[in-house]
Amino acid sequence: MVGILRYLIRRLLFSMLLVLGVSAIIFFLLNAIGNPVDVLMADNPGITDQALAAVKAYYHLDAPVWQRYLIWLGHVAQLDFGTSISTNLPVGGMLLTFGAETLKLQIPAILLALLMAIAFAAVAAVRQYSRTDFGVMSAALFGHSLPGFLLGVLLILIFAYWLGIFPSYGAYSTRNPLMGSYVIDGAWHMVLPLTMLTVFNTATLTLLLRANLVDVLRQDFIMAARASGLPERRVVFHHALRNAIIPVLTYLGILFGLMLATAPVTESVFTWPGAGALYLSAIQALDYPLIMGETMVVTVMLVGFTLLTDLAYVLIDPRIRLD
Amino acid sequence: MARPPGQFRQGWHRLCRNRSGLLGLSLVAFVVLVALIGPEFAPYTPNDQSAMLSFTAKGAPTWAHLFGTDRNGYDVLTRVIYGAPTALAVGLGAMLVASVIGILVGGIAGYLGGTADELLMRFTEFFLVIPVFIMILAVVRLFSIVVVGTPLERLPFLNLATIIVLLGLFGWPPIARLARAEFLRLKNMDFVEAARCIGAQPRDILFRHILPNALPSLVVVIALGIGGAILSESMISFLGFGDPKAISWGQLLYFNYEVLRVSPWAVLAPGGAIFITVLGFNLLADGLSDAFNPRLKQ
Repeated sequence: MVGILRYLIRRLLFSMLLVLGVSAIIFFLLNAIGNPVDVLMADNPGITDQALAAVKAYYHLDAPVWQRYLIWLGHVAQLDFGTSISTNLPVGGMLLTFGAETLKLQIPAILLALLMAIAFAAVAAVRQYSRTDFGVMSAALFGHSLPGFLLGVLLILIFAYWLGIFPSYGAYSTRNPLMGSYVIDGAWHMVLPLTMLTVFNTATLTLLLRANLVDVLRQDFIMAARASGLPERRVVFHHALRNAIIPVLTYLGILFGLMLATAPVTESVFTWPGAGALYLSAIQALDYPLIMGETMVVTVMLVGFTLLTDLAYVLIDPRIRLD
Repeated sequence: MARPPGQFRQGWHRLCRNRSGLLGLSLVAFVVLVALIGPEFAPYTPNDQSAMLSFTAKGAPTWAHLFGTDRNGYDVLTRVIYGAPTALAVGLGAMLVASVIGILVGGIAGYLGGTADELLMRFTEFFLVIPVFIMILAVVRLFSIVVVGTPLERLPFLNLATIIVLLGLFGWPPIARLARAEFLRLKNMDFVEAARCIGAQPRDILFRHILPNALPSLVVVIALGIGGAILSESMISFLGFGDPKAISWGQLLYFNYEVLRVSPWAVLAPGGAIFITVLGFNLLADGLSDAFNPRLKQ
């Protein structure tokens, strides 16, 4: 137990160092390209002196860049991401509102995909090199190589334009929600983007899981389990799957960690009002606080889920040594 | 005296017996062929907007325009063909940058070991958690503004070059990790020992003795990376941050996505081209990994 605690603390410290490092790299990179005022001036030549002075004071632009970074970091440490230039709203609140719309799609997509991948991988791995295996693996490789947006386009063309069943854009109807309920209406709008994300995740997870399952099913303890007369279903789902899923955890961690980072494409295809769309508009508007805020949140999520994955390894697999 | 077949020749023979690997190789060969000689056979010139003048922009596929015309009046087939060299330039360029950095960092870390290894691998970990895609979007957008009015502005395809370099600068960590593992494995092999005994320089040991033996594994990640870089560039362009002067599949998507309902062919054609290319490189990488590491699959 003490070992785990010590490991946890060391990993936490290193993760914080990672976040600091990445935030510094991003901050200096963005500021090396151009400081906010120069960029704003280039884009809005008509800006008034008064507005310019206000922006300069807001960014402490008389201070050198490392001081500005420390000031920004101090505010972030108090969960204050500043005020967005384009909307004048607090960045933290905007990230929460828009982020929720993104997570609403991403979390169910990952969980659904995991369930489906387990089923597909089990079917394929049990009958290795059979026609079923070949079919599942070809479909998975196909789905894995199909760019997400292309799948989205096909879904929109078929189900929104030609069949007219599902809406092609947005998270809610602007008026007349489906069956008078905004809950049903919201779920209705989720179907196509959710399908697009789930198919892609399922394909990749199936490829990974099947490869691991095939390996595990060849090992001695599986033969022992079979020899002891356990039903095949129990051998596969209880004994084999448990071991096969461990290496997949890393990929799951990355999927969860990148939920906001992969959102821009999905949300452009479906005009979805989430964090990805917010980020794109922030870049268009050169909204430095919003850009920094969102990159920061994405980095923290990525580092946080990597840390969680490593911890899960330690807790699930007793063979892993802490050193 | 007949030389025994080297690892590349052996790998090649195994690749030829691997059905999906061969499919990947043919798809990649097809894309390369289109990139090299396609422009000679393209039905129109890439900047021909005459469909606009005859009111046939956004026109459905006909014999004159096999993939239809897009909202700017371009012939979609011509633009898709001219997009192939761009895509390959992006994939190869980005992976060239990434391989040089990745092999240097990973190779040195694996060969030296100890503190140098620890430091370099921690450095790699920093790059692994940078949210690359959204970073590149921001940097490309800001850079394109700052560059206005400077001599850099007159460089052709500056935006595209920026994207290629950025994809490479942020895409090397997987290569570095694998290079480290391979150099670590190879550095204590007999042939390296032998090279050391005859007094070979460390530089020669690293690049003339170890690197060629690490290449088979590295080629697999690099092939995957080429497909990944091509996909990233098309997504960056699709989101509107690409090079407006370059003819790329992502640009076609960006210009035509809004009129998807009217002219779906102008989106489906470049989308299909991206799919074929990425699928080709994925299958090829898969086949190469089976061909070079035959023990894994039995």
